[in-house]
Amino acid sequence: MSATIARSPQALPPARRSFVRRNLPYLLIAPSVIMLLALIAYPLLFALRSSFYFWNLQIGPEPQAFVGFDNYVQAFNAFDFQDALVNTLILSIAGTAIEFVLGLSIALLLLRALPGMNVVRALLILPTTIAPIVVGFLFRYLYDPGGGLITWLLKSTGLPIPPEGLLGSPTTALAAVLFADVWQWTPFFAIVLYASLLSVPDEIIEAARLDRASAWTILMRIKLPLIRRTAVIIVMLRFMQLFNTFDTVLVLTRGGPGTSTRTLGYSLYEQGLINFNIGLVSAMTWITVLIVNVIVALYVFFAFRNEEW
Amino acid sequence: MNVDRMALSRRSLLKGVSATALLAGVAAPFAAPGAARAQSADAVRVLCVEDPFFFSLKAMIPDFEKETGIKVELESLSYDALQARLVSAFVAQTSDADVIAVDQMWLGQYLDNGWIVSLNDFIAKDADIDLGDFLPEVLYSSNMWRGQIGTLPVAAYAQGVMYRKDMFDEFGIAAPPSETSEDWTWTKYVETLKALEGKSFNGAPVFPTVVCGSQPSPIVHMFTQVSTSHGAGWFKSFPGAPWDFEPQLTGPAWVKSVEVYRALYRLSPPEAINYVWFDAGTRFAKGDIGMFYWWTPYFYLIKNAGYMTGTKSDVMDKYATAALPKAEGVPQTVSLGGWSLGVPSSSTRQDNGYAFIKWATSKATQKKMALWPDLNHQFSDFARASLYEDDEVKAIYPYLDIQLAMMKQGNGKVTRPPVPGYTALESVLGLTLNQLLTGSEDPAAALERTNGLFASILKGNFMIPYQKESFADSLDEAKALIGKLTKS
Repeated sequence: MSATIARSPQALPPARRSFVRRNLPYLLIAPSVIMLLALIAYPLLFALRSSFYFWNLQIGPEPQAFVGFDNYVQAFNAFDFQDALVNTLILSIAGTAIEFVLGLSIALLLLRALPGMNVVRALLILPTTIAPIVVGFLFRYLYDPGGGLITWLLKSTGLPIPPEGLLGSPTTALAAVLFADVWQWTPFFAIVLYASLLSVPDEIIEAARLDRASAWTILMRIKLPLIRRTAVIIVMLRFMQLFNTFDTVLVLTRGGPGTSTRTLGYSLYEQGLINFNIGLVSAMTWITVLIVNVIVALYVFFAFRNEEW
Repeated sequence: MNVDRMALSRRSLLKGVSATALLAGVAAPFAAPGAARAQSADAVRVLCVEDPFFFSLKAMIPDFEKETGIKVELESLSYDALQARLVSAFVAQTSDADVIAVDQMWLGQYLDNGWIVSLNDFIAKDADIDLGDFLPEVLYSSNMWRGQIGTLPVAAYAQGVMYRKDMFDEFGIAAPPSETSEDWTWTKYVETLKALEGKSFNGAPVFPTVVCGSQPSPIVHMFTQVSTSHGAGWFKSFPGAPWDFEPQLTGPAWVKSVEVYRALYRLSPPEAINYVWFDAGTRFAKGDIGMFYWWTPYFYLIKNAGYMTGTKSDVMDKYATAALPKAEGVPQTVSLGGWSLGVPSSSTRQDNGYAFIKWATSKATQKKMALWPDLNHQFSDFARASLYEDDEVKAIYPYLDIQLAMMKQGNGKVTRPPVPGYTALESVLGLTLNQLLTGSEDPAAALERTNGLFASILKGNFMIPYQKESFADSLDEAKALIGKLTKS
């Protein structure tokens, strides 16, 4: 007990006591901030340094020469960069939008006291828990032109299927990859939005109904504004995840046919873990980081410009 | 008082946890690589790839443990995962393996970087390794780099043709020959396939052939057999000295090869554009393909319905094998590949590692692997010449004469040159080929573009102009080295 008293702030000299009092919040969060900086800043700075060197592990184990911005020039001029960027943007924007809309619809359905909803809620989480690689293999079979379930269903409804199959045609391959992602991640939106919608007070909804507000008006004017902060955050998280998509692409198409499903994430994987070109992949990583951060910064600016945090 | 005790206890706990976390965090980067795992002297840790040979090898491990008293810790990974893990471990100096599976394309990188040890000294001191029994074409293609034997072959692959005997009989098509000849050319191969076009067999439509279209490795592995047959080389001068990596993809042999491969794709199921290695094999095993060529492990793998399932396929007793076609007037060259075993320089049990390699690649073990009955007998990938004469083995794998003939025409250093930075070149070539199968682009224009990309990659990798020392890498040099090591 005496030891505790001896170490209390009251026992410190007045100047130190005042310093501790003034800076206590900063001192308390300092370890977390230092740890965070070390974990985020170090790899990024390491990648930044590497991006200015020619460093290919297939040629030698150490960085071989300082090349300035050559790796950045090479990355921009790479045969697949533009296609990969466009595909990534399509996948990220379309995927996030579709998953949000579908997730919200499911969340609204879950709010209704329909029979079997408890089971649905439990089942809904399942796709999200499966590793993307496994989802890739699952959809490889579902898309099989020789009898995959999805191919069969689409054919049954009279929709035209390319002879090469959904994954074999440049016109449908990206959509097929996107659909696999939508299948896996829509439940994530549904569950988070459902939890958020549960926090909307019933009295407000009741009052709106008494004022004869339509379901659409209640959704757009009351529910969505009240869950806006949650929605904004998960949209941002999902967008960033989708921007780094590579595992589903790896299993389903390996970026083909041609470059029709190549994403920046897949190109990074290929340069880093197949070609082992550390300098080039570091430059590509920084380009990706900058693109994502610019998009996210713009999104956050517009999404939160009227908010007080 | 209880409350005080509780507060003190919580604080102590927090202090303890913080100190432990801090120590672990700070100490981890400085921990010696070898300290991560205490290693027993009478054990060997093997990191392998999960190719077909792995399963029969695994089944034989108790024999090795009984013979030597060395306990084997065997781990298997997929191709991409194995390379990623090995390279990461070597760079971070955290490798704890004593034996690793090495693809022929990695050999130069691993030896040049000092990640694996040369086996020359081990072999020179070993009186009963019987190095002369290995096919020199295999050792040259897969195991030698700059005069060093870096690995020994545990599974060697050539390429060959598989066709449906019953289908050919039904339609009155002459069986392809079992020996290479001027009459069995790629033109003739395509003509033969065209005779199957639009046909039905057993009430189902037939596809004359099947190819791999998936980029980058599968399509490059399959296409390069056609291109090598046509004499299409990748570089101005390699593997012969002096090395000059100026790319040579614009010649008529390349254009002709693309035209042949395009013709083959048109005779394949359209979804083959996405087929990887085993997709082509399992498609043939389904029964609606007339003939195709592929790596020799498919000579036995197509006995299974699906990939390594052990369930007999519909074509099990209905197919035969044949020689690869060649190009008119060009000496035949066959693609050679496979898996070999090497000893990492970081291993503290290199003698155990070499003992394992010697055992796994020995004639006796390879024969036992061949006779292992599971999965419908799944191993005939011998690099040991004597096993191709073994009656007991030949009774199970009747195609061994054809396989040996293909092996003897093999040259893995020409088909897919194992040069530093190869995978980047393969990515570009694979993409171009994949695009050429589905698109209508002129092959010459696409190859011109690819040639430019090759040059750019090679210049970026300081391979053009090549400033390091060249090495006169030829089969004769390889035979001379084998002779020298055998005598010593």
